[in-house]
Amino acid sequence: MPENLPSFSNSVKLKYVKLGYQYLVNHILTFLLIPIIFAVAVEILRLGPEEMLNIWNSLHFDLVQVLCSSFLVIFIATVYFMSKPRAIYLVDYACYKAPVTCRVPFSTFMEHSRLILKDNPKSVDFQMRILERSGLGEETCLPPAIHYIPPTPTMEAARGEAEVVIFSCIDSLMQKTGIKPKDIDILIVNCSLFSPTPSLSAMVVNKYKLRSNIKSYNLSGMGCSAGLISIDLARDLLQVHPNSNALVISTEIITPNYYKGSERAMLLPNCLFRMGGAAILLSNKSRDSRRAKYKLVHVVRTHKGADDKAFKCVYEQEDPEGKVGINLSKDLMVIAGEALKSNITTIGPLVLPASEQLLFLFTLIGRKIFNPKWKPYIPDFKQAFEHFCIHAGGRAVIDELQKNLQLSAEHVEASRMTLHRFGNTSSSSLWYELGYIEAKGRMKKGDRVWQIAFGSGFKCNSAVWKCNRTIKTPVDGPWLDCIERYPVHIPEIVKL
Amino acid sequence: MEPVMVVMCAICLLFFLYQLYKLSEERRNQCCYLVHYECHKPSDDRKLNTKFCGDIIARNKNLGRQEYKFLLRAIVSSGIGEETYGPRNIIECRENSPTLEDGILEMDEVLIDTLDKLFRKTGVSPQDIDVLVVNVSSFASVPSLTSRIINRYKMRDDVKSFNLSGMGCSGSLISLSLVQNILKSYKNAFAVVVASESIGPNWYSGNDKSMMLTNCLFRSGGCSFLLTNKRAFRTRAKLRLKCLVRTHLGASDEAHTCCMQKEDDQGRFGFYLGKNLPKTATLAFIKNITGIAPKVLPLKELIRYIVMKYLGKTATLNLKAGIDHFCLHPGGQAVIEEIRKNLGLSEKDVEPSRMTLHRFGNTSSSSLWYVLGYMEAKKRLKKGDNVWMISFGSGFKCNSCVWEVLRDLEDGNVWGDMIDQYPPKTTANPYMEQYGWVNQETFEPSAAV
Repeated sequence: MPENLPSFSNSVKLKYVKLGYQYLVNHILTFLLIPIIFAVAVEILRLGPEEMLNIWNSLHFDLVQVLCSSFLVIFIATVYFMSKPRAIYLVDYACYKAPVTCRVPFSTFMEHSRLILKDNPKSVDFQMRILERSGLGEETCLPPAIHYIPPTPTMEAARGEAEVVIFSCIDSLMQKTGIKPKDIDILIVNCSLFSPTPSLSAMVVNKYKLRSNIKSYNLSGMGCSAGLISIDLARDLLQVHPNSNALVISTEIITPNYYKGSERAMLLPNCLFRMGGAAILLSNKSRDSRRAKYKLVHVVRTHKGADDKAFKCVYEQEDPEGKVGINLSKDLMVIAGEALKSNITTIGPLVLPASEQLLFLFTLIGRKIFNPKWKPYIPDFKQAFEHFCIHAGGRAVIDELQKNLQLSAEHVEASRMTLHRFGNTSSSSLWYELGYIEAKGRMKKGDRVWQIAFGSGFKCNSAVWKCNRTIKTPVDGPWLDCIERYPVHIPEIVKL
Repeated sequence: MEPVMVVMCAICLLFFLYQLYKLSEERRNQCCYLVHYECHKPSDDRKLNTKFCGDIIARNKNLGRQEYKFLLRAIVSSGIGEETYGPRNIIECRENSPTLEDGILEMDEVLIDTLDKLFRKTGVSPQDIDVLVVNVSSFASVPSLTSRIINRYKMRDDVKSFNLSGMGCSGSLISLSLVQNILKSYKNAFAVVVASESIGPNWYSGNDKSMMLTNCLFRSGGCSFLLTNKRAFRTRAKLRLKCLVRTHLGASDEAHTCCMQKEDDQGRFGFYLGKNLPKTATLAFIKNITGIAPKVLPLKELIRYIVMKYLGKTATLNLKAGIDHFCLHPGGQAVIEEIRKNLGLSEKDVEPSRMTLHRFGNTSSSSLWYVLGYMEAKKRLKKGDNVWMISFGSGFKCNSCVWEVLRDLEDGNVWGDMIDQYPPKTTANPYMEQYGWVNQETFEPSAAV
């Protein structure tokens, strides 16, 4: 709104005007149709039943004409349905719940840190400060190999963690959906930092004895946004192969990537990344349209790699002692904001209601033609979505996005609580958040969900889902035993 | 009322015909054309000869006399020549302590060389690329190699990038399958695929025999290729993809564990190749042929085969009825020989693979493209020919695809001027006399893949 009316923007009157405007523009077709229906009704009543019968009889239909028109209608309908892109359904998904023995409360983490880094008290202090402000809780989990002092990240241990996480997710998913291994046509596994040979996808094929003509892909190195990249790939594949199922597995294997050095900027991932994984079943079969939980509406990918600063902000490198770790640069938040803006520019027109788009257009025209000092209008995404799943990358990420998108505390509650209970589980965190919303009984039929994830490179990917059926609690999932305790209040700093 | 009805019918009919036309255009635009491919030829200071390899083995304190003999035997009879290329950290005698920089540098050399040449020769700008797929089996970095490429070439921000790993030597065909599927849903798109392997960081320094073979067989190399489904590029493109079949034998435990990355008893990291590798490869191969043969062979040949089988006589599928050129993955002498015998091919048919193995070694997923380059440099690819590419991969996979040649190809590419020296009179190792005593002992065939 123009800057010379700041007091009005807080007044109640303008709020109602905005509501009225939104209602009018979004339902414009209904509003146009009502007078037409009214006029037709009046005309029919005026003519009376006999006149109606006369008009009906005077319309004589030639048999040939009738046949031609009806065939044409049928043909056009068939061609229309054939050329529509296939609907992709999310039948169900399952998240990994680690056993209690893997839990790493703050005390355990700090004790280990003091013992491993005993020569570097400054690094220990740094880790403590990070942990205090991280937004993590006491129940996050690390794999068994990391519980050793010092950690023992062998390949065997890494494979062991991969097997435990991935297989238990798939077992749980198969139990929920009743799907047999032989029915899976497409398999996509994404794990960013662990890529053994044979691949994790081959490991899954071996364990579950999947078919020999399965289309399997193993993505790696794509960071925390890899989950949505896999969904995008599954969608492209399902468009080409009719009547198929796709199993997507998103995980991050922590064991081989624990930073063993003492360089501060590289100790950050140790404090935040935790064990987790998710298995998702997608399908384009029409019979799944009734039992599926969600329908995929859009996936938008944005890659800011062309900009050098964005490219270097999450970088794997060796520290002066030769130990490998991931360096997070200081302007990560700024770059994330930029990437998000790019992504929003593409997704906005696809999801925003006409009212928001018109407002944005008017302010854009106004800024260009009338007065460049007008504040740019930030579209209200709360009009387009009921639920938001923001990747639980860290407290700062969630704060930044909450500010940029003007979301309320309830909208980002799922992300904050997931960060608290499970930590940053990388690509699978979006599914834990979705599970939270379902477990709270907030997911109703027709609700739209927006999943946003960031990744190294620098990427910002988002996916839009529409809820297909109301999801009843209690929901079988990782939140089953602890959902009553949530939401918890997470203080700014937890004193350790 | 009559003219109105007629006009309405006409409009509907026109609309329906237009929709049909659009659908048929979409179907036609789903073809996948290979516009150009570039293979990487490392600089001459990276050449590895037998003597150098012998020195490396001698330097390794963990190897005893038995292992020394075993390795030399493997090198001498592997069919690999004196001009293959190794990664820099091995040339600089730092094979036991590779740094992250070494791995990234090795990849950068391949990427920069091949992609620069690819974009220059095709005239396609990096900003036009819609899909980017990179597959390097045993190297994962943060940010991924796809991000490195996007950063270096300043690609668009809506490029679809995929970084595949762990897929072994058949990675380039899997990337090809990924691109083929995506090009069916998107119109007028360009895709770039980069295939390579990371040798430096994966050097095995222990003494487990089943894990030492990879050190001898794998060499540095890589390639990039440009694919599109634009009809306008049909005249410029070299090949058209006819069909691609993937076979995955991971369901069998034996197949799954015959080729694995693991730690040996001393905790050293390496690549284990099992003894049942050739058998698994054959099984996978047969399964794959049953999938692809019906799609490429002419009906006459298929009927003949079925009739002969029905009559109980021994029948072999004559693949040469439908395929003119064979691009076999040069995994090793044994692999090439095995396939040649099974398919009844002549020496000339397997010559490209043997020569690639001799000149460039086993460069993993990119080796098929060196073989294709050999055929092209020898001017053997004529319009209408069918080329069959087969590769194997860990897991265990066997993937194959058939290309149709769109025009007579004669680009010298990576083989360049040395093509006239091939095939040489003998591919025997010149150090045979020097290390000849190795052949007097019992011989273990070089493993495949």
